[in-house]
Amino acid sequence: MRKLSVLLVDDEIMIREGFKRLFDWEVHDCEVAGEAADGMEALALIDTLQPDIVIMDINIPIMNGLQVIKLSRMKHPDIAFVIVSGYDDFSYCREALRLQITDYILKPVNYEEFGSCIDNLKIALFEKRVSTAAATEKHEERTITGITRYLQEHLSEEISLSVLAEEFHLNPQYISQLFKSEIGVGFLAYFTNIRMEKAKKLLLTTSLSITEVANQAGYGDYRVFTKVFKKLEGITPSQYRRDFLDAKSV
Amino acid sequence: MLRMEIALFFVLAFVAYVFFSAGGKNTLLHRTFSALLITMLVHLVFDAATIYSVNHLDTVPVFINDALHRLFIGTMVLVVYLFYQYIAILVEEESGKPRNLDTFAKVFLAAAEFGVLVLPVHYAVTRDGNYSDGIHASVCYITMAFYLFFCVWLLLHSWKLIDPKKKFAIGAALVIEVIVSLLQAINPTWLISGMGLTLMTMSFYLTLENPDILRAELTEQKMSMLYLKSQVNPHFLYNTLDTIRIQAQLNGDKKVADLLMQLVDFFRLSVKVDQPMVTLDDEMALLEAYMLLMCYRYPELHCEYDIDPDLGGVQVPNFILQPIVENSVLHGMKNKGYRGEIRIAARKTAEDRMEILVCDTGSGFSGEKKSVIDQMLQSYAKQPAKLEGNSIGILNVQKRIKLLCGREYGLWYTENPTGGVTAHILLPGKETGK
Repeated sequence: MRKLSVLLVDDEIMIREGFKRLFDWEVHDCEVAGEAADGMEALALIDTLQPDIVIMDINIPIMNGLQVIKLSRMKHPDIAFVIVSGYDDFSYCREALRLQITDYILKPVNYEEFGSCIDNLKIALFEKRVSTAAATEKHEERTITGITRYLQEHLSEEISLSVLAEEFHLNPQYISQLFKSEIGVGFLAYFTNIRMEKAKKLLLTTSLSITEVANQAGYGDYRVFTKVFKKLEGITPSQYRRDFLDAKSV
Repeated sequence: MLRMEIALFFVLAFVAYVFFSAGGKNTLLHRTFSALLITMLVHLVFDAATIYSVNHLDTVPVFINDALHRLFIGTMVLVVYLFYQYIAILVEEESGKPRNLDTFAKVFLAAAEFGVLVLPVHYAVTRDGNYSDGIHASVCYITMAFYLFFCVWLLLHSWKLIDPKKKFAIGAALVIEVIVSLLQAINPTWLISGMGLTLMTMSFYLTLENPDILRAELTEQKMSMLYLKSQVNPHFLYNTLDTIRIQAQLNGDKKVADLLMQLVDFFRLSVKVDQPMVTLDDEMALLEAYMLLMCYRYPELHCEYDIDPDLGGVQVPNFILQPIVENSVLHGMKNKGYRGEIRIAARKTAEDRMEILVCDTGSGFSGEKKSVIDQMLQSYAKQPAKLEGNSIGILNVQKRIKLLCGREYGLWYTENPTGGVTAHILLPGKETGK
């Protein structure tokens, strides 16, 4: 997999420095291609660098982050935007969601946990590739797509690399390698991600209790589920449900 | 008429007592009003005295009558001058325009007082009663007209710039005074000048100088100061802390960075304190941020949470858990060297009830303490609102639960069989939509 190029946009040099130096881009197969301190600069750099990922502060000079996204969306529909904002105000989030951003994180940014954001991004890119591939060439299914489909269907079960190895008659190390090379994230990160996606879907489309949602997403203990959910989303499952339903009703 | 003057004197004396015992603000306006009140009282004494003496011209010697009249008119001129001063200062305060008529008003005052002292006093004797007239009395009328005209002019000139409540108060007082003065001029034997002046003073007192109004203004000012203080842009605060955090981490100090991260989190969450009710999730997030910081400070302190996740959306009074837990840490854990565990659990106890338990393994209540706290929490309504001390936290929590959720809910303590205490908080368990 080729390296993903990243553009950092924030008017505070310290925040950009933090992103640049405190997050291990190398390990996540990314590299910082450029930085911008205001909306104009960001717009110009998006055009010249054509990055895969733009990490964007909302509150920046000259032109705010949301406007930058709106303008560059037309020319570059494939760029993944990650919004970083100090305004823990859902109105921004709502507008940002409408612009189809990939992720939304709040300041203060926990640089160690920023990795899960990049993982989400990679999984989203992978799923996009799979769906376009499925549309064009149907004949031959690749191993990785088989495995991911199997995981989707057995979300609520205890699945480890060895279970997969048995199911697909492959070496566990090989499967682990496959995840790294095809999707760019480890097996566990991928599995957690799709479990969380499932949980989010259940939270928003059903009125199941949190315990039930946890069970269906493969967590026997709701406390573990809540902890993992909060670590990845920044809020508890019930908050997530409330916030999103509030946003819809406004 | 003599009896009316005496009654007016007592009314104003009472007003003066209330005004001076309240000890208001020491501004030019209030000092002027103090002077006005005292001059008015002195004036009423001479007013009453002349009413008696002028109607007993045959028994009271002329020189005493003259002296009393000079003092009576003299103080009256001073009172009207103070009225003018008071209104001028008020208008200046409100409109910001300087008082440019002051010198003129003072020169006129000096001239009028001089006239009052030297001009001959003449008495008119009628069937309805006696009064002073002639050139001496006319000084009084001219002064009155002069200052009242100034007052009206000042008021109308800055009408739009003055607070409505104040301008109508002054306007009404001036109208009363003008009417009374005209009536006095037409019917000199009525001797009602004292009444007009008293009414005017009273109207100032009731609308502008009332201690309650002043106190309310003062509290309002204090409140807005407090508000400003607490609002020192929270974004500035945690943006700065965040910059420090990143710098610390860049310098390789992971521990400091983590602590600052928690502190930023705590501040960010506690900014919501202006809402009376929040969700249990919000309340728990704040508590967790607080406990993480406490556990950093006291590494032997442990914290366990067992919250029914479906209760996350229940509305609870804001900021009730942190004071209870803080109490456990500071009173229960302190004597154990901050070694031990605090367990926080929330569960449904009935269809629409939930109980939050804060259970610690601390040193428990010593001796009388338990019954003192039980007593305090039970008679929460009779407890004065304390602003400091050990138990304000829990008393405040109790009061807010009772007020916001209802009397059937509340806080109480039990002792654990294994040591330590458990705080029970009974709350409504329904998710009340916004």
